[in-house]
Amino acid sequence: MIKEFIQGLSITAKHLLPGNSTTVEYPKVKLEASERFRGLHRLVPAHNREKCVACYLCPTVCPAKCITVEAGEDENGVKYPTVYQIDMLRCIFCGYCVEACPVEAIEMTGEYELANYKREDFCFTKERLLK
Amino acid sequence: MPEMLSLSNDPILFVTVMLAKILAVFIVVILIVAYATYAERKIIGRMQTRLGPTMTGPLGLLQPIADGLKLFFKEDIIPAQASKFAFVLAPMMILVPAFITIAVVPFGGNVVVGGYTVPLQIADLNVGILYILAMAGLGVYGIVLAGWASNNKYSLLGGVRSAAQMISYELAAGLSIISVFMLSETLSLRGIVEAQAGGITDWYIFSQPLAFCLFVITSLAEVNRTPFDLPEAETELVSGFCTEYSSMKYALFFMAEYANMVVISAVTATLFLGGPAGPFPGAINLLLKIFFFMFVFIWIRATFPRVKYNQLMYMGWKIFLPLALLNIVITGAVVVF
Amino acid sequence: MAKKDIMTINMGPQHPSTHGVLQLILELDGETVVKATPHIGFLHRGVEKLSENRSYHRALPLTDRLDYLAPMSNNLGYVLAVEKLLGITDLIPERAKVVRVMMAELTRIKSHLVWLATHALDIGAMTVFLYCFREREAIMDMYEKLSGARMTSNYFRVGGLSLDLPEGFEKDVRSFIDAMPGHIETYEGLLTGNKIWQKRTIGVAKIDADAAIDIGLTGPALRASGVDWDLRRDNPYSGYEEYEFQVVTRQNGDTFDRYKARLDEMRESCKIIRQALDKLQPGPILADAPAVCLPPKEKVVNSIEGLIHQFKIITEGFKPEPGEIYQGVEAPKGELGYYLVSDGSANPYRMKIRPPSFVNLQALPQMVEGALLADVIAAIGTLDIVLGEIDR
Ligand code: SF4
Ligand code: SF4
Repeated sequence: MIKEFIQGLSITAKHLLPGNSTTVEYPKVKLEASERFRGLHRLVPAHNREKCVACYLCPTVCPAKCITVEAGEDENGVKYPTVYQIDMLRCIFCGYCVEACPVEAIEMTGEYELANYKREDFCFTKERLLK
Repeated sequence: MPEMLSLSNDPILFVTVMLAKILAVFIVVILIVAYATYAERKIIGRMQTRLGPTMTGPLGLLQPIADGLKLFFKEDIIPAQASKFAFVLAPMMILVPAFITIAVVPFGGNVVVGGYTVPLQIADLNVGILYILAMAGLGVYGIVLAGWASNNKYSLLGGVRSAAQMISYELAAGLSIISVFMLSETLSLRGIVEAQAGGITDWYIFSQPLAFCLFVITSLAEVNRTPFDLPEAETELVSGFCTEYSSMKYALFFMAEYANMVVISAVTATLFLGGPAGPFPGAINLLLKIFFFMFVFIWIRATFPRVKYNQLMYMGWKIFLPLALLNIVITGAVVVF
Repeated sequence: MAKKDIMTINMGPQHPSTHGVLQLILELDGETVVKATPHIGFLHRGVEKLSENRSYHRALPLTDRLDYLAPMSNNLGYVLAVEKLLGITDLIPERAKVVRVMMAELTRIKSHLVWLATHALDIGAMTVFLYCFREREAIMDMYEKLSGARMTSNYFRVGGLSLDLPEGFEKDVRSFIDAMPGHIETYEGLLTGNKIWQKRTIGVAKIDADAAIDIGLTGPALRASGVDWDLRRDNPYSGYEEYEFQVVTRQNGDTFDRYKARLDEMRESCKIIRQALDKLQPGPILADAPAVCLPPKEKVVNSIEGLIHQFKIITEGFKPEPGEIYQGVEAPKGELGYYLVSDGSANPYRMKIRPPSFVNLQALPQMVEGALLADVIAAIGTLDIVLGEIDR
């Protein structure tokens, strides 16, 4: 009995030695997100505007129904989204939109600090997503 | 050696010296209490591969102060159904006995002040040990009262557990000390320290190892530390007797827990490790011994699970009590023959 | 006993150790439990009903959120069920199967780690908690590398996998399973031999084999009572029949045995993962079932056929023949079953989930009757329940 108690104490004592800490001091040091990390979305730009062709695949596949797309045509008759909006409060970060997009116009970044103060702040419009 | 300073030969000097001693001891204990919380978080953090506080001040050293301020500015909530008077009284009833126990612990030999001898001890009671046991017994009333006054079932359970725990442990603790003063032939702590003054081999830890072990274990129960932290067992009773407390009242409970730890460490050091005796001057030895015991308490907390309340009763009555009695019989036999 | 001697105490849904939002109405005589009544439903999100309004593909992320400590096991059960419904089980490529097994076993370790961490914390051993979470963190990092999310992985797909293993992933897994047995020794060093831990667990919340079968216990909770039943061996799926592993059983059915059983299971999982790594061959990760699987991305971007294919699957989904199937998998907590009914449309007509925690929770009142309040905590911990799965 005593032996086991001492064994336990020695395990915790061993961890007391320096070099065992696994803490990352968060606001000062940040973890690197992996390449595939599914964080905040980004619309991929191409030339002077977004690459998206407003094909409606991503709003269709989105399980949370949080993407709003409205299609329009520019002066050359090319389709583009006049409105593209993601409601981050509803988004479940499943990555289906990225998987579905046929022109690779949307991707997910390593951005994970998404806390905010107001409800409106979570509504990511086209302009914000293009950044 | 000059005459002992007392109220009759120089009242003004006596009161001044007394106040100075009280203040010094109080400040030291408060500081230890504050930084014990810090040390506990750091040590347990390290043992658990964390860092503990690092952000407040250099190395997080201002953390206890920040915590204190935070608690101070929190809203003080008294539940509507609580019994107000008892609810307010309870935290004081826990903290006060914790602090006044330290009064009988000697922290050095004698010094000469203004032509009189002054002992480095706040009060040299000739029934010092009984006083300590009595004060420790008082502390539990605060917990029971807090549990009852909160009008919360979890608190009540915590309070009842505490009472039960106290009854079963006080006895074994008291009996384990008896063998110490059988050897020292005095109840005064100063006398006990003097009896151990003849060098390290005279320390009672060597002549009374069983009593030492019993006393350390029972004192863990006495100060509600893991593995005997049943009255506030967080995962069972939410927070036990202090579930309903907030703000400064909670802070008082918190301080009492650590003050109790300091006191018990000091008492153990006095009874078994020769008190202020040691290689360094005066009170430093005692402080080092206190720190050692505090570290062990923290270490145990990081390592062991919590016992169940019936197991604690079982240990108290069926293991520690007979062992303590046996120890008395053996000591008695040795002393007589 | 007169009613006035009984104290009713409301434990949860906000309580530090009810593992989520479980509410227990405890009737106590002193500290002895006379009766315990679990109340559930605080985390109900309607997963089963929601999936009736989603195509099979879009219902998949919902399953991540059942047992959120073991998302890949939930995914696995679901995709296997849909594949069975579609009749494409035999088309799943070898590589996908092996990766599925590997990830399912890593998930088992991950889930057991959280169980051990919280169980030990409930009983007061708080250091084990952080040690376990350190190892779990390593698995989460692998999850992140592989699927992009740390918890809600959404990695498997009907027909295979969504992405291939990233560079260096196998090496990560190998070094993890090399280190894991040593970590398990550390936990055991802190707990197994410790007299207090033994006193708190041996003989506590006991349940015998017959009662366990009557209640429908599954998983380690059943096996610790001495019933030798493991779907991985007795009803293999995803190629489990090709792996060598021990089904861990214990005899006493108490908290200590369940603890030991789960620890040994982690060791067995390491062995399975090792075999899976050895088996891993390059190859396709998606079944050759164009009606079900999305085409590869390059094809979609570069060819008009691929584009049309992508549009067709995403907008229309796939439509299994009308029929119904049941597929059970051995999730970390027990048998996780999906019962799917198809009416020939692209959405499931009905999806019924048999979550292991839900059934296992039934054992709780029986386990704690006559025990002490402290044993209730141990019993909740030892059942390893997750409310996300119970309430769905
Ligand atoms: S990540 Fe998923 S939930 Fe979020 S917008 Fe994309 S498809 Fe919708
Ligand atoms: S799927 Fe791609 S192209 Fe289509 S609407 Fe979404 S972002 Fe635009």
